[in-house]
Amino acid sequence: MIHDEYFGTPERRKILTGIILLIFAVLMVRLYQLQLLYHGELDKKSEENSIRALVKEPIRGYIYDRNGKMIVDVGPSYTVMVVPAEFDRSNLPFLSSILEMEPRAIEERIARARAYSPFLPSRLKRDVDIKSLATIEEHLPLFSGISYQVESKRSYPTPAHAAHLLGYSREISDAQLSQVGEYYRQGDVVGIAGLEARYENLLRGEKGYEYVSVNSRGQIIGSFEDGGRDVTSKEGFDLILGMDVDLQAFAESLMTAHAYGGAIVAMDPKNGALLAVVSKPDFDPAIMSGVTPAEMWGRLNTDESKPLYNRATLTRYPPGSTFKMVLAAAALEEGIIDERYRINCSGGFRFGNRVWKDLHVHGSTNVIEAIQRSCNVFFYQLMFKVGFEKWTEYGRRFGFGKPTGIDTGEETSGLLPSIEYYDARYGKGKWTAGFTVSLAIGQGEVGVSPLQMVRYIAALANGGTLHQPHAVQYINNKRVGKVEEIPRDAASVGLSARTMELIREGMRRVVQEPGGTASLARIKGVVSAGKTGTAENPHGEDHAWYVGFSPFDDPRIAVAIMLENSGFGGSKAAPLAGLIIEKYLYGQLRRPTPNAAPIKRDSTKAITQVILEH
Amino acid sequence: MIDYFKEYFDFKALFLCVALVTLGLLSVYSATYDVGAGATFQKQVMWAGIGFLAMLVTALLPLKSLQRLAFPIYAGSLVLLIVVLLVGKTTSGSKSWFGVGGLGGQPSEIAKVAAVLALAAFLSRTTTSLSNAKHLLIAFGIVLVPSVLILAQPDLGTTVVFSAMLLPVLYWAGAKNFVLVAILSPIIVAAGALFGTLAFLFSIGIAGVLLYITRENRFVAAVAFGLTLAVGLSVQAVYERMPPYQQKRIDTFLNPNLAPRGAGYNVLQSKVAIGSGGIFGKGYLQGTQTQLNFIPEQWTDFIFCVPGEEFGFVGASVVLIFFTALLLHGVNVAGMSKNRFASTSAVGITGILATHMLINIGMSMGILPVIGIPLPFLSYGGSALIANMMMVGLLMNFYSNRKEH
Repeated sequence: MIHDEYFGTPERRKILTGIILLIFAVLMVRLYQLQLLYHGELDKKSEENSIRALVKEPIRGYIYDRNGKMIVDVGPSYTVMVVPAEFDRSNLPFLSSILEMEPRAIEERIARARAYSPFLPSRLKRDVDIKSLATIEEHLPLFSGISYQVESKRSYPTPAHAAHLLGYSREISDAQLSQVGEYYRQGDVVGIAGLEARYENLLRGEKGYEYVSVNSRGQIIGSFEDGGRDVTSKEGFDLILGMDVDLQAFAESLMTAHAYGGAIVAMDPKNGALLAVVSKPDFDPAIMSGVTPAEMWGRLNTDESKPLYNRATLTRYPPGSTFKMVLAAAALEEGIIDERYRINCSGGFRFGNRVWKDLHVHGSTNVIEAIQRSCNVFFYQLMFKVGFEKWTEYGRRFGFGKPTGIDTGEETSGLLPSIEYYDARYGKGKWTAGFTVSLAIGQGEVGVSPLQMVRYIAALANGGTLHQPHAVQYINNKRVGKVEEIPRDAASVGLSARTMELIREGMRRVVQEPGGTASLARIKGVVSAGKTGTAENPHGEDHAWYVGFSPFDDPRIAVAIMLENSGFGGSKAAPLAGLIIEKYLYGQLRRPTPNAAPIKRDSTKAITQVILEH
Repeated sequence: MIDYFKEYFDFKALFLCVALVTLGLLSVYSATYDVGAGATFQKQVMWAGIGFLAMLVTALLPLKSLQRLAFPIYAGSLVLLIVVLLVGKTTSGSKSWFGVGGLGGQPSEIAKVAAVLALAAFLSRTTTSLSNAKHLLIAFGIVLVPSVLILAQPDLGTTVVFSAMLLPVLYWAGAKNFVLVAILSPIIVAAGALFGTLAFLFSIGIAGVLLYITRENRFVAAVAFGLTLAVGLSVQAVYERMPPYQQKRIDTFLNPNLAPRGAGYNVLQSKVAIGSGGIFGKGYLQGTQTQLNFIPEQWTDFIFCVPGEEFGFVGASVVLIFFTALLLHGVNVAGMSKNRFASTSAVGITGILATHMLINIGMSMGILPVIGIPLPFLSYGGSALIANMMMVGLLMNFYSNRKEH
């Protein structure tokens, strides 16, 4: 290098060192100025900065039904707040008596509030009654660091519970707080179950902040910079459901009147919107808003009838004869049989050295009559013609054995046995075709949820489209001021028109023709179709199934009903379906109903009591 | 044994870096104390752990391989800068960040280290001469290409730091005074242009005199002066094209009373925070300015307020002293190194860290404009922390190999 002599010379090293020391000196002088010379002035400014950011809670979004009726509302609720740094411990006993909280509990709350911030108000007690609030307000000058704010809590203006579908929101737990990150803080309400949880981000809205100046005792003396830095809270988005809340309430009242346990799911077969979702026994979601007493929680969690359990989406019972259409579809679609194919039902079916019995002797039967009369022998034989593999394939096409993708709560996949399943369960070659015989009539290991069933029936009703079941149809997006439709999935079952026609004719005869098993589901003036079923229950009385749709030519409602421990589907479940469909299609019942319970909210009974027959 | 270690292991750099990172973690914890449940702090602890490992690995690499790898690393960093412009995420107006899944980073941080190494590798070649205009242009180009890519994000702060590194490196590598003045004068004139006509004319005067004193060739000096004028005149044009938030920052710096509630608000609250700290501070987690969130995004660019407010003059001085000690150590390492590549790199690293310290702490105390650059080791941010700790790792490496040619 030509300039070797200048590279890193001691002189240049000194200059660089000098520049660094100069920077250091400049910064030190400035630090000295700010922290020592101007300390008094700046410290005073910082003290004057006694400004509190008060959180303005957004209003949680409302929930409406398909006709614009409000299902979930918000009402006022009063929360007592505390600023830990300003709280005077000598007030503890008095405050404890007003709030009806143990002094220890108050201290623990304050300690946790201090960990959040000693200078900002935190919630001490939520949903304080108006009498306690009046006492606190009266003594406010005495209680330094104590204040209150108006918040909202859920209220339910209709008689419908729809508890499992709507879910509920509660105060956020410590465990959740550490997971969900920076938006939430102690005392915030967050959706825990159902729609409240699934649509939490849309429902909650955005918090706002109001800046106020406070004096040394923490009392508000005015707004800060005339509210120039305030941030207004943003209301949560509203949900508009596919539900018909009148139908929901009616369906619930039917279950209550008969003291049935089980589920009713009704769906719009045109798009998969859920019209009603009932699971009994249930609870009143109103008891979850505000503060739920611990004793009530305990009861909900330990009650033998499991009121928190969503029977509409989580039960996994065999579908019984309601599953026969799957096998019929496989046989017809694969060209294995047509409507001319007949068997002679002698009332029993022998395979190997075992005999499966039928309830009746049906004589000469084709596929339409076999569905109409629910002839087991026909389907036993058909299973061997179609084969297990095809049966599984068509079951899968109708969405069994996998989750439906519903937009609320948890759901079961159910169980759709397959060759792989049996190989895994019993070992390759260790199971025989005899294992599959009961599957032909929907018994044995096959397990389905009422939700899966209604989707299957809706697909038979609408000509073969399997819709994603959903509670929410539209969202009122308040940010853009538009009601937005939520796109949902749909898939084709892939059945020919001829196959559809034959199966649907069988289902029509079930309801409309003599010899059908569900004449009790018949409604004046409308043609309906359906299928009864009975799930064999090794632990007690059988479960009753009914699935159906109506009107036959242009279906507007599909329904699946499952009654636990209620015996034969045709006698108990079918009449309920008739009433529900009638109510939906006409808006009201056109016949006297001797056995319907009054449709009204009974808040004294939090859990619907159900006498289960064992 | 211990003596052997002292001879070959740079305990001083290690200690200063760990001390600064620890102070940074304490500050980030305090600044984010009420925001969520410490997620920001936990992330920073994780970054510090990764940075520590990266530092040790860097310190142990063979010097010759580093020198050989300088250009490939540099090329890689340019590719990353281009990729981030094409597919990067936009945060607060800049396309500077990209991520895959939960991981991500700012390539501009890695580009700093890469550019220093490439520049040093080029300047330490025996065939390179700083009197050769072509070589000088190449040296410029090595810094200019990533600078332009970063300016396009647009990230003015990082570009400034980047360019500021060139001056001490050229100086150390033996550039003539005239070259340095020629680089410096457009900067002086550009700054003057922003302060109005009188300051503009005055800065032109200074630049002219300096160029005249250090001139070796009248024609070259005249060209340099012409370029200086051109830069000064086009500054106003560039200013017009800046994103409004950066314009506002410059305006507010020039006249803080212009928008006391807007961009000037940060500086005002930051000064109040530091000033109210007094000699011993308000105590850890007790700073009202910090805990009541008067300083937006304090854990990034305004982190210096936390030690200033909560630990007072004593605490803030410790930060400054540790920083300065690390910078002086950097110059010492440069002086001790027999290897030119190592020596030049050490000056580049020291230059980058010094610019960061000066601008960041200067803006926190209201003596420099608010251009958003973090305080090394203290500010929240994964890529910056790792890159900075790797730079310390390089200093440690050069110290260990200082006798190697």
